[in-house]
Amino acid sequence: MKPVVLMVGADKGGVGKTTVTRTVLDYLAAKNALVRAFDAEHPRGTLQRFHPDITEVVDITTAADQMKMIDTLSTSEIKVSVIDIRAGLLDETLKTLTEVGFFDLVDAGEFNFGLMHVVGSSVASLDEIAEVLPYVKGKHYFIVKNFINDTSFFEWNPTIYRNYFRGTADAVEVTIPKLNEMAYEQVELSGVPFSDFVANRQSNGQQVNNSLVLRGYVRTWLRQISDEYDRVGLLDRLYDRTAAAA
Amino acid sequence: MNTTGSGFSTGSTIERPRLPDPQSSPPRPSVAAIVASLHGRAGKTLLARILADYFILSGRRPALFDTDATERMLHSAFPDDAIVVDLTEVRDQMILFDTLVARSAAARVVDVSHHAARKFFKVMQESQFAAEARARQVEPVIFHIMDRNSDSYEAARLLRERFEDCALVLVENAYLGKVKDQTRRSTGYRAFEDHELRMTLPCLDPEVLDVVEDIHLSLSDLMREPLSRGASGGPLSFDERAYLRSWLGRIFRDIHRVTRAIEARALSPAPADPPS
Repeated sequence: MKPVVLMVGADKGGVGKTTVTRTVLDYLAAKNALVRAFDAEHPRGTLQRFHPDITEVVDITTAADQMKMIDTLSTSEIKVSVIDIRAGLLDETLKTLTEVGFFDLVDAGEFNFGLMHVVGSSVASLDEIAEVLPYVKGKHYFIVKNFINDTSFFEWNPTIYRNYFRGTADAVEVTIPKLNEMAYEQVELSGVPFSDFVANRQSNGQQVNNSLVLRGYVRTWLRQISDEYDRVGLLDRLYDRTAAAA
Repeated sequence: MNTTGSGFSTGSTIERPRLPDPQSSPPRPSVAAIVASLHGRAGKTLLARILADYFILSGRRPALFDTDATERMLHSAFPDDAIVVDLTEVRDQMILFDTLVARSAAARVVDVSHHAARKFFKVMQESQFAAEARARQVEPVIFHIMDRNSDSYEAARLLRERFEDCALVLVENAYLGKVKDQTRRSTGYRAFEDHELRMTLPCLDPEVLDVVEDIHLSLSDLMREPLSRGASGGPLSFDERAYLRSWLGRIFRDIHRVTRAIEARALSPAPADPPS
Protein backbone atom coordinates (compact mmCIF):
# COMPACT_ATOMS: atom_id res chain seq x y z
CA MET A 1 0.00 0.00 0.00
CA LYS A 2 1.16 3.48 -0.88
CA PRO A 3 1.77 5.91 1.97
CA VAL A 4 -1.14 8.28 2.34
CA VAL A 5 -1.11 11.88 3.46
CA LEU A 6 -4.43 13.42 4.41
CA MET A 7 -4.31 17.10 5.24
CA VAL A 8 -7.07 18.93 7.05
CA GLY A 9 -6.92 22.67 6.66
CA ALA A 10 -8.81 25.93 6.69
CA ASP A 11 -7.95 29.51 5.95
CA LYS A 12 -10.05 30.83 8.74
CA GLY A 13 -9.95 29.81 12.36
CA GLY A 14 -13.09 28.72 14.17
CA VAL A 15 -14.56 26.62 11.39
CA GLY A 16 -14.07 23.45 13.43
CA LYS A 17 -11.03 22.17 11.59
CA THR A 18 -9.56 20.23 14.50
CA THR A 19 -12.98 18.76 15.27
CA VAL A 20 -13.15 17.48 11.70
CA THR A 21 -9.67 16.00 12.08
CA ARG A 22 -10.82 14.23 15.23
CA THR A 23 -13.78 12.70 13.40
CA VAL A 24 -11.41 11.51 10.67
CA LEU A 25 -9.11 9.86 13.23
CA ASP A 26 -12.10 8.13 14.86
CA TYR A 27 -13.35 7.02 11.45
CA LEU A 28 -9.99 5.61 10.37
CA ALA A 29 -9.56 3.84 13.71
CA ALA A 30 -13.00 2.27 13.33
CA LYS A 31 -11.91 1.05 9.89
CA ASN A 32 -8.83 -0.53 11.49
CA ALA A 33 -6.43 1.78 9.70
CA LEU A 34 -3.15 2.46 11.47
CA VAL A 35 -2.78 6.22 11.59
CA ARG A 36 -0.28 8.75 12.83
CA ALA A 37 -1.27 12.37 13.23
CA PHE A 38 0.63 15.63 13.12
CA ASP A 39 -0.73 18.64 14.89
CA ALA A 40 0.57 21.73 13.16
CA GLU A 41 -1.02 24.08 15.67
CA HIS A 42 2.44 24.61 17.07
CA PRO A 43 2.95 25.23 19.94
CA ARG A 44 -0.52 24.72 21.43
CA GLY A 45 -1.62 21.41 20.00
CA THR A 46 -5.39 20.97 20.41
CA LEU A 47 -5.44 17.73 18.46
CA GLN A 48 -2.71 16.28 20.61
CA ARG A 49 -4.84 16.83 23.69
CA PHE A 50 -7.51 14.47 22.30
CA HIS A 51 -5.28 11.92 20.59
CA PRO A 52 -2.01 12.04 22.55
CA ASP A 53 -0.95 8.49 21.70
CA ILE A 54 -0.73 9.02 17.96
CA THR A 55 -0.21 12.76 17.64
CA GLU A 56 2.97 14.79 17.39
CA VAL A 57 3.00 18.58 17.48
CA VAL A 58 5.03 20.03 14.62
CA ASP A 59 6.00 23.46 13.39
CA ILE A 60 5.28 23.09 9.72
CA THR A 61 7.29 26.22 8.84
CA THR A 62 10.60 24.63 9.89
CA ALA A 63 12.54 22.34 7.64
CA ALA A 64 13.27 19.98 10.50
CA ASP A 65 9.60 19.27 11.11
CA GLN A 66 8.83 19.04 7.41
CA MET A 67 11.47 16.31 7.23
CA LYS A 68 9.92 14.60 10.24
CA MET A 69 6.66 14.29 8.35
CA ILE A 70 7.67 13.85 4.72
CA ASP A 71 10.94 11.94 4.90
CA THR A 72 9.45 9.27 7.13
CA LEU A 73 6.52 8.53 4.84
CA SER A 74 8.18 5.64 3.01
CA THR A 75 9.94 4.18 6.02
CA SER A 76 7.17 4.41 8.58
CA GLU A 77 5.25 1.26 9.43
CA ILE A 78 2.17 3.37 9.69
CA LYS A 79 0.98 4.18 6.22
CA VAL A 80 -1.61 6.85 6.88
CA SER A 81 -0.54 10.29 8.08
CA VAL A 82 -3.16 12.87 8.99
CA ILE A 83 -1.93 16.45 9.27
CA ASP A 84 -4.00 19.08 11.00
CA ILE A 85 -2.78 22.33 9.42
CA ARG A 86 -2.85 25.44 11.51
CA ALA A 87 -5.57 27.90 10.51
CA GLY A 88 -4.32 30.41 7.97
CA LEU A 89 -1.31 28.32 7.00
CA LEU A 90 -3.05 26.17 4.41
CA ASP A 91 -1.93 28.17 1.41
CA GLU A 92 1.61 28.48 2.73
CA THR A 93 1.82 24.78 3.52
CA LEU A 94 0.67 23.81 0.03
CA LYS A 95 3.30 26.17 -1.40
CA THR A 96 6.00 24.61 0.78
CA LEU A 97 4.99 21.08 -0.19
CA THR A 98 5.31 22.12 -3.83
CA GLU A 99 8.76 23.59 -3.21
CA VAL A 100 10.10 20.50 -1.50
CA GLY A 101 8.87 18.44 -4.44
CA PHE A 102 6.24 16.53 -2.50
CA PHE A 103 3.55 16.98 -5.11
CA ASP A 104 5.92 15.75 -7.84
CA LEU A 105 6.22 12.52 -5.91
CA VAL A 106 2.43 12.34 -5.56
CA ASP A 107 2.10 12.83 -9.32
CA ALA A 108 4.74 10.14 -9.87
CA GLY A 109 2.58 7.78 -7.85
CA GLU A 110 4.84 7.45 -4.81
CA PHE A 111 2.31 8.78 -2.35
CA ASN A 112 -1.37 9.35 -2.22
CA PHE A 113 -2.58 12.76 -1.17
CA GLY A 114 -5.89 14.11 0.00
CA LEU A 115 -6.97 17.48 1.29
CA MET A 116 -9.98 18.10 3.45
CA HIS A 117 -10.71 21.78 3.17
CA VAL A 118 -12.97 23.00 5.95
CA VAL A 119 -14.75 26.09 4.69
CA GLY A 120 -16.82 28.76 6.33
CA SER A 121 -20.35 29.65 5.34
CA SER A 122 -19.63 32.98 3.65
CA VAL A 123 -19.16 33.42 -0.09
CA ALA A 124 -15.59 34.47 0.72
CA SER A 125 -14.79 30.82 1.14
CA LEU A 126 -15.29 30.41 -2.61
CA ASP A 127 -12.20 32.57 -3.13
CA GLU A 128 -10.39 30.35 -0.66
CA ILE A 129 -11.34 27.31 -2.70
CA ALA A 130 -10.16 29.05 -5.88
CA GLU A 131 -6.76 29.62 -4.31
CA VAL A 132 -6.37 25.99 -3.32
CA LEU A 133 -7.58 24.44 -6.57
CA PRO A 134 -4.30 24.66 -8.55
CA TYR A 135 -2.51 22.60 -5.90
CA VAL A 136 -5.01 19.81 -5.70
CA LYS A 137 -5.55 19.21 -9.40
CA GLY A 138 -5.69 15.47 -9.95
CA LYS A 139 -5.59 14.79 -6.22
CA HIS A 140 -8.31 13.99 -3.71
CA TYR A 141 -9.97 17.21 -2.70
CA PHE A 142 -12.80 17.29 -0.19
CA ILE A 143 -14.68 20.48 0.56
CA VAL A 144 -16.02 20.13 4.08
CA LYS A 145 -19.08 22.07 5.14
CA ASN A 146 -19.13 21.95 8.86
CA PHE A 147 -22.38 22.25 10.81
CA ILE A 148 -21.03 20.95 14.11
CA ASN A 149 -21.33 24.10 16.15
CA ASP A 150 -24.15 25.88 14.43
CA THR A 151 -26.65 25.46 11.69
CA SER A 152 -25.54 28.62 9.93
CA PHE A 153 -26.88 28.95 6.47
CA PHE A 154 -24.33 28.52 3.73
CA GLU A 155 -24.47 31.57 1.48
CA TRP A 156 -23.49 29.45 -1.47
CA ASN A 157 -25.12 26.34 -2.79
CA PRO A 158 -24.03 23.78 -5.40
CA THR A 159 -25.43 25.87 -8.25
CA ILE A 160 -23.48 28.98 -7.33
CA TYR A 161 -20.48 26.79 -6.73
CA ARG A 162 -20.69 25.14 -10.15
CA ASN A 163 -21.21 28.42 -11.93
CA TYR A 164 -18.24 29.84 -10.09
CA PHE A 165 -15.83 27.13 -11.09
CA ARG A 166 -17.41 25.96 -14.33
CA GLY A 167 -16.51 22.39 -13.67
CA THR A 168 -12.79 22.90 -13.31
CA ALA A 169 -12.68 21.18 -9.97
CA ASP A 170 -13.49 17.57 -9.27
CA ALA A 171 -14.01 18.33 -5.63
CA VAL A 172 -16.08 16.15 -3.35
CA GLU A 173 -18.43 17.92 -0.99
CA VAL A 174 -18.64 16.56 2.56
CA THR A 175 -21.17 17.66 5.13
CA ILE A 176 -20.54 17.31 8.85
CA PRO A 177 -23.84 17.40 10.76
CA LYS A 178 -24.58 19.35 13.90
CA LEU A 179 -23.78 17.88 17.28
CA ASN A 180 -25.80 18.89 20.31
CA GLU A 181 -23.92 21.68 22.13
CA MET A 182 -24.06 20.06 25.53
CA ALA A 183 -22.68 16.80 24.17
CA TYR A 184 -19.93 18.66 22.33
CA GLU A 185 -18.97 20.57 25.47
CA GLN A 186 -18.80 17.43 27.56
CA VAL A 187 -16.42 15.78 25.10
CA GLU A 188 -14.30 18.94 25.12
CA LEU A 189 -14.09 18.77 28.89
CA SER A 190 -13.27 15.07 28.84
CA GLY A 191 -10.44 15.63 26.36
CA VAL A 192 -10.84 12.18 24.80
CA PRO A 193 -11.63 10.97 21.28
CA PHE A 194 -15.36 10.98 20.49
CA SER A 195 -15.40 7.19 20.32
CA ASP A 196 -13.86 6.93 23.80
CA PHE A 197 -16.49 9.27 25.17
CA VAL A 198 -19.16 6.96 23.77
CA ALA A 199 -17.39 3.93 25.24
CA ASN A 200 -17.14 5.61 28.68
CA ARG A 201 -13.34 5.64 28.57
CA GLN A 202 -11.17 8.27 30.20
CA SER A 203 -7.85 9.45 28.76
CA ASN A 204 -5.98 7.15 31.16
CA GLY A 205 -8.05 4.22 29.90
CA GLN A 206 -10.19 4.00 33.03
CA GLN A 207 -13.95 3.61 32.94
CA VAL A 208 -16.05 6.68 33.60
CA ASN A 209 -19.76 7.24 33.72
CA ASN A 210 -20.66 9.79 31.07
CA SER A 211 -24.27 10.78 30.60
CA LEU A 212 -26.21 8.09 28.77
CA VAL A 213 -28.08 10.73 26.79
CA LEU A 214 -24.99 12.68 25.73
CA ARG A 215 -23.22 9.48 24.72
CA GLY A 216 -26.27 8.66 22.64
CA TYR A 217 -26.03 12.00 20.84
CA VAL A 218 -22.32 11.56 20.14
CA ARG A 219 -22.82 7.96 18.98
CA THR A 220 -25.57 8.92 16.55
CA TRP A 221 -23.55 11.84 15.25
CA LEU A 222 -20.43 9.71 14.72
CA ARG A 223 -22.51 7.19 12.82
CA GLN A 224 -23.88 9.93 10.55
CA ILE A 225 -20.34 11.14 9.85
CA SER A 226 -19.13 7.62 9.21
CA ASP A 227 -21.99 7.16 6.73
CA GLU A 228 -21.01 10.43 5.07
CA TYR A 229 -17.33 9.43 4.78
CA ASP A 230 -18.47 6.09 3.39
CA ARG A 231 -20.72 7.86 0.93
CA VAL A 232 -17.89 9.94 -0.51
CA GLY A 233 -15.59 6.90 -0.45
CA LEU A 234 -12.98 8.61 1.71
CA LEU A 235 -11.03 5.44 2.44
CA ASP A 236 -11.33 4.04 -1.09
CA ARG A 237 -10.02 7.25 -2.56
CA LEU A 238 -7.09 7.47 -0.17
CA TYR A 239 -6.27 3.81 -0.77
CA ASP A 240 -6.69 4.16 -4.54
CA ARG A 241 -9.58 1.74 -4.54
CA THR A 242 -12.00 4.09 -6.27
CA ALA A 243 -12.34 1.90 -9.35
CA ALA A 244 -12.97 -1.24 -7.31
CA ALA A 245 -15.66 0.48 -5.29
CA ALA A 246 -17.50 1.77 -8.31
CA MET B 1 -58.35 -16.50 54.44
CA ASN B 2 -57.57 -20.14 54.84
CA THR B 3 -56.99 -21.16 58.42
CA THR B 4 -56.56 -24.92 58.16
CA GLY B 5 -54.13 -26.61 60.49
CA SER B 6 -51.69 -25.19 62.94
CA GLY B 7 -49.32 -24.00 60.30
CA PHE B 8 -46.80 -26.62 61.46
CA SER B 9 -48.57 -29.72 60.21
CA THR B 10 -46.59 -31.37 57.47
CA GLY B 11 -49.69 -32.71 55.79
CA SER B 12 -51.09 -29.29 55.06
CA THR B 13 -52.10 -28.78 51.47
CA ILE B 14 -51.60 -25.05 51.74
CA GLU B 15 -48.04 -24.10 51.09
CA ARG B 16 -46.88 -20.86 52.45
CA PRO B 17 -44.85 -18.83 50.01
CA ARG B 18 -41.20 -19.39 50.79
CA LEU B 19 -39.29 -16.27 51.58
CA PRO B 20 -36.16 -15.89 49.52
CA ASP B 21 -32.95 -16.33 51.46
CA PRO B 22 -31.26 -12.95 51.28
CA GLN B 23 -27.84 -14.63 51.39
CA SER B 24 -28.30 -16.94 48.46
CA SER B 25 -30.69 -15.18 46.14
CA PRO B 26 -29.16 -12.82 43.61
CA PRO B 27 -30.19 -9.19 43.95
CA ARG B 28 -33.52 -8.47 42.33
CA PRO B 29 -33.31 -6.12 39.42
CA SER B 30 -35.17 -2.89 39.85
CA VAL B 31 -37.94 -2.10 37.42
CA ALA B 32 -38.10 0.98 35.22
CA ALA B 33 -41.73 1.12 34.12
CA ILE B 34 -42.42 3.18 31.01
CA VAL B 35 -46.12 3.91 30.56
CA ALA B 36 -47.12 4.83 27.03
CA SER B 37 -49.99 4.75 24.58
CA LEU B 38 -50.58 5.86 21.05
CA HIS B 39 -53.31 8.35 21.82
CA GLY B 40 -54.11 10.62 24.72
CA ARG B 41 -56.79 9.89 27.31
CA ALA B 42 -56.02 6.17 27.32
CA GLY B 43 -55.38 5.99 31.06
CA LYS B 44 -51.61 6.46 31.13
CA THR B 45 -51.46 8.70 34.15
CA LEU B 46 -53.91 6.46 35.99
CA LEU B 47 -51.74 3.42 35.30
CA ALA B 48 -48.60 5.36 36.24
CA ARG B 49 -50.27 6.25 39.56
CA ILE B 50 -51.32 2.66 40.15
CA LEU B 51 -47.77 1.46 39.41
CA ALA B 52 -46.37 4.07 41.77
CA ASP B 53 -48.77 2.97 44.51
CA TYR B 54 -47.94 -0.66 43.82
CA PHE B 55 -44.26 0.05 44.42
CA ILE B 56 -45.05 2.14 47.49
CA LEU B 57 -47.11 -0.71 48.95
CA SER B 58 -44.28 -3.13 48.15
CA GLY B 59 -41.98 -0.99 50.26
CA ARG B 60 -40.03 0.32 47.31
CA ARG B 61 -40.55 4.03 47.06
CA PRO B 62 -40.29 4.77 43.36
CA ALA B 63 -38.78 7.66 41.46
CA LEU B 64 -41.49 9.16 39.26
CA PHE B 65 -41.21 11.15 36.07
CA ASP B 66 -43.89 13.23 34.44
CA THR B 67 -43.10 14.06 30.81
CA ASP B 68 -46.06 16.37 30.40
CA ALA B 69 -44.54 19.71 31.33
CA THR B 70 -47.84 21.52 30.79
CA GLU B 71 -50.48 19.38 32.52
CA ARG B 72 -48.20 17.83 35.17
CA MET B 73 -50.87 15.37 36.30
CA LEU B 74 -48.55 12.77 37.79
CA HIS B 75 -46.67 15.50 39.57
CA SER B 76 -49.94 16.77 41.09
CA ALA B 77 -50.64 13.28 42.39
CA PHE B 78 -47.14 12.84 43.84
CA PRO B 79 -45.76 16.33 44.39
CA ASP B 80 -42.86 15.07 46.50
CA ASP B 81 -41.78 12.17 44.33
CA ALA B 82 -42.51 13.11 40.73
CA ILE B 83 -40.06 15.11 38.65
CA VAL B 84 -41.44 17.01 35.69
CA VAL B 85 -39.23 16.80 32.61
CA ASP B 86 -39.53 18.67 29.34
CA LEU B 87 -38.04 16.32 26.78
CA THR B 88 -37.44 19.09 24.27
CA GLU B 89 -34.58 20.11 26.60
CA VAL B 90 -31.39 18.06 26.52
CA ARG B 91 -30.79 18.80 30.19
CA ASP B 92 -34.15 17.24 31.05
CA GLN B 93 -33.46 14.26 28.80
CA MET B 94 -30.31 13.74 30.87
CA ILE B 95 -32.18 14.06 34.17
CA LEU B 96 -34.69 11.47 33.01
CA PHE B 97 -32.57 8.85 31.28
CA ASP B 98 -29.48 9.13 33.44
CA THR B 99 -31.66 8.58 36.51
CA LEU B 100 -33.59 5.76 34.86
CA VAL B 101 -30.35 3.97 34.11
CA ALA B 102 -28.71 4.53 37.50
CA ARG B 103 -27.71 1.48 39.50
CA SER B 104 -30.17 1.60 42.39
CA ALA B 105 -32.73 -0.62 44.04
CA ALA B 106 -35.48 1.96 43.65
CA ALA B 107 -38.24 1.37 41.14
CA ARG B 108 -38.89 4.03 38.53
CA VAL B 109 -42.08 4.99 36.71
CA VAL B 110 -42.28 7.27 33.67
CA ASP B 111 -45.58 8.62 32.44
CA VAL B 112 -44.84 9.22 28.75
CA SER B 113 -47.29 11.79 27.50
CA HIS B 114 -48.36 11.04 23.94
CA HIS B 115 -47.00 14.47 22.96
CA ALA B 116 -43.56 13.53 24.25
CA ALA B 117 -43.61 9.92 23.07
CA ARG B 118 -41.79 10.40 19.78
CA LYS B 119 -38.93 12.26 21.46
CA PHE B 120 -38.86 9.86 24.39
CA PHE B 121 -38.47 6.76 22.25
CA LYS B 122 -35.96 8.47 19.95
CA VAL B 123 -33.68 9.31 22.87
CA MET B 124 -34.33 5.87 24.36
CA GLN B 125 -33.16 4.26 21.13
CA GLU B 126 -30.20 6.51 20.41
CA SER B 127 -28.86 6.21 23.94
CA GLN B 128 -29.21 2.41 23.77
CA PHE B 129 -31.00 2.79 27.06
CA ALA B 130 -32.37 -0.73 27.42
CA ALA B 131 -29.01 -2.47 27.03
CA GLU B 132 -27.29 -0.03 29.38
CA ALA B 133 -30.05 -0.33 31.97
CA ARG B 134 -29.91 -4.11 31.97
CA ALA B 135 -26.15 -4.00 32.39
CA ARG B 136 -26.83 -2.13 35.63
CA GLN B 137 -29.52 -4.53 36.91
CA VAL B 138 -32.34 -2.23 35.90
CA GLU B 139 -35.12 -3.95 33.94
CA PRO B 140 -36.89 -1.57 31.58
CA VAL B 141 -40.54 -2.43 30.90
CA ILE B 142 -42.85 -0.66 28.48
CA PHE B 143 -46.47 -0.76 29.61
CA HIS B 144 -48.37 0.01 26.42
CA ILE B 145 -52.06 0.81 26.86
CA MET B 146 -54.21 -0.41 24.00
CA ASP B 147 -57.52 0.88 22.77
CA ARG B 148 -60.19 -0.59 20.47
CA ASN B 149 -58.46 0.46 17.28
CA SER B 150 -55.90 -1.43 15.29
CA ASP B 151 -53.44 1.46 15.17
CA SER B 152 -52.72 1.09 18.89
CA TYR B 153 -51.73 -2.55 18.32
CA GLU B 154 -49.69 -1.59 15.30
CA ALA B 155 -47.88 1.04 17.38
CA ALA B 156 -47.16 -1.55 20.08
CA ARG B 157 -45.90 -4.00 17.47
CA LEU B 158 -43.50 -1.41 16.09
CA LEU B 159 -42.26 -0.60 19.59
CA ARG B 160 -41.67 -4.28 20.33
CA GLU B 161 -39.66 -4.58 17.12
CA ARG B 162 -37.72 -1.41 17.78
CA PHE B 163 -36.86 -2.32 21.38
CA GLU B 164 -36.27 -6.03 21.17
CA ASP B 165 -34.23 -6.02 24.38
CA CYS B 166 -36.96 -4.33 26.41
CA ALA B 167 -39.95 -6.13 27.92
CA LEU B 168 -43.32 -4.94 26.64
CA VAL B 169 -46.53 -5.41 28.60
CA LEU B 170 -49.75 -5.12 26.66
CA VAL B 171 -52.29 -3.31 28.84
CA GLU B 172 -55.90 -3.71 27.84
CA ASN B 173 -58.04 -0.98 29.28
CA ALA B 174 -61.57 -2.34 29.52
CA TYR B 175 -62.89 1.15 30.10
CA LEU B 176 -61.98 2.09 26.50
CA GLY B 177 -64.43 -0.49 25.18
CA LYS B 178 -64.34 -3.81 23.46
CA VAL B 179 -61.73 -4.36 20.78
CA LYS B 180 -63.31 -3.91 17.34
CA ASP B 181 -63.72 -6.95 15.10
CA GLN B 182 -61.78 -5.11 12.46
CA THR B 183 -58.94 -4.66 14.96
CA ARG B 184 -58.94 -8.38 15.76
CA ARG B 185 -58.28 -9.12 12.12
CA SER B 186 -55.41 -6.61 11.85
CA THR B 187 -51.78 -7.74 11.61
CA GLY B 188 -50.89 -5.58 14.62
CA TYR B 189 -53.41 -7.36 16.85
CA ARG B 190 -52.49 -10.79 15.59
CA ALA B 191 -48.79 -10.13 16.16
CA PHE B 192 -49.60 -10.30 19.88
CA GLU B 193 -51.52 -13.59 19.84
CA ASP B 194 -48.70 -15.44 21.61
CA HIS B 195 -47.59 -12.50 23.70
CA GLU B 196 -47.36 -13.52 27.34
CA LEU B 197 -46.84 -10.24 29.12
CA ARG B 198 -50.27 -8.71 29.30
CA MET B 199 -52.60 -7.29 31.90
CA THR B 200 -55.99 -5.64 32.12
CA LEU B 201 -57.41 -2.54 33.66
CA PRO B 202 -60.90 -3.82 34.51
CA CYS B 203 -63.98 -1.67 34.12
CA LEU B 204 -64.96 0.53 36.98
CA ASP B 205 -68.29 2.09 37.83
CA PRO B 206 -68.21 5.54 36.18
CA GLU B 207 -69.06 7.34 39.41
CA VAL B 208 -66.27 5.65 41.29
CA LEU B 209 -63.94 6.24 38.35
CA ASP B 210 -64.52 9.97 38.72
CA VAL B 211 -63.30 9.71 42.29
CA VAL B 212 -60.30 7.62 41.27
CA GLU B 213 -59.40 10.10 38.60
CA ASP B 214 -59.25 12.78 41.25
CA ILE B 215 -55.48 12.94 41.45
CA HIS B 216 -55.55 13.89 45.12
CA LEU B 217 -56.85 10.48 46.11
CA SER B 218 -53.93 8.33 47.17
CA LEU B 219 -54.56 4.77 46.05
CA SER B 220 -51.99 3.33 48.42
CA ASP B 221 -53.65 5.15 51.32
CA LEU B 222 -56.98 3.73 50.19
CA MET B 223 -55.51 0.23 50.40
CA ARG B 224 -54.00 0.79 53.83
CA GLU B 225 -56.70 2.74 55.60
CA PRO B 226 -59.65 1.19 57.43
CA LEU B 227 -62.64 0.66 55.19
CA SER B 228 -64.80 2.86 57.37
CA ARG B 229 -63.07 6.15 57.67
CA GLY B 230 -65.99 8.05 59.11
CA ALA B 231 -66.20 11.76 58.50
CA SER B 232 -62.73 12.10 56.98
CA GLY B 233 -63.44 9.32 54.55
CA GLY B 234 -64.07 11.65 51.69
CA PRO B 235 -66.71 11.06 49.08
CA LEU B 236 -66.53 7.27 49.18
CA SER B 237 -68.87 5.03 51.09
CA PHE B 238 -67.80 1.81 52.82
CA ASP B 239 -69.07 -0.24 49.89
CA GLU B 240 -67.38 1.93 47.33
CA ARG B 241 -64.09 1.65 49.19
CA ALA B 242 -64.39 -2.13 49.31
CA TYR B 243 -65.31 -2.20 45.63
CA LEU B 244 -62.41 0.04 44.69
CA ARG B 245 -60.00 -2.02 46.74
CA SER B 246 -60.95 -5.21 44.99
CA TRP B 247 -60.58 -3.43 41.65
CA LEU B 248 -57.11 -2.20 42.64
CA GLY B 249 -56.26 -5.57 44.11
CA ARG B 250 -56.84 -7.20 40.74
CA ILE B 251 -54.61 -4.71 39.01
CA PHE B 252 -51.89 -5.00 41.67
CA ARG B 253 -51.95 -8.78 41.25
CA ASP B 254 -51.55 -8.35 37.50
CA ILE B 255 -48.66 -5.93 37.96
CA HIS B 256 -47.06 -8.28 40.46
CA ARG B 257 -47.40 -11.19 38.06
CA VAL B 258 -45.86 -9.41 35.07
CA THR B 259 -43.06 -7.70 36.98
CA ARG B 260 -42.15 -11.00 38.65
CA ALA B 261 -42.10 -12.74 35.29
CA ILE B 262 -39.84 -10.03 33.90
CA GLU B 263 -37.54 -10.18 36.93
CA ALA B 264 -37.32 -13.94 36.66
CA ARG B 265 -36.45 -13.66 33.01
CA ALA B 266 -33.76 -11.11 33.84
CA LEU B 267 -32.23 -13.37 36.48
CA SER B 268 -32.30 -16.55 34.45
CA PRO B 269 -29.17 -17.27 32.44
CA ALA B 270 -29.27 -15.37 29.19
CA PRO B 271 -30.00 -17.41 26.09
CA ALA B 272 -27.09 -17.86 23.75
CA ASP B 273 -26.44 -14.71 21.79
CA PRO B 274 -27.40 -14.98 18.16
CA PRO B 275 -24.34 -14.73 15.94
CA SER B 276 -23.84 -11.12 15.04
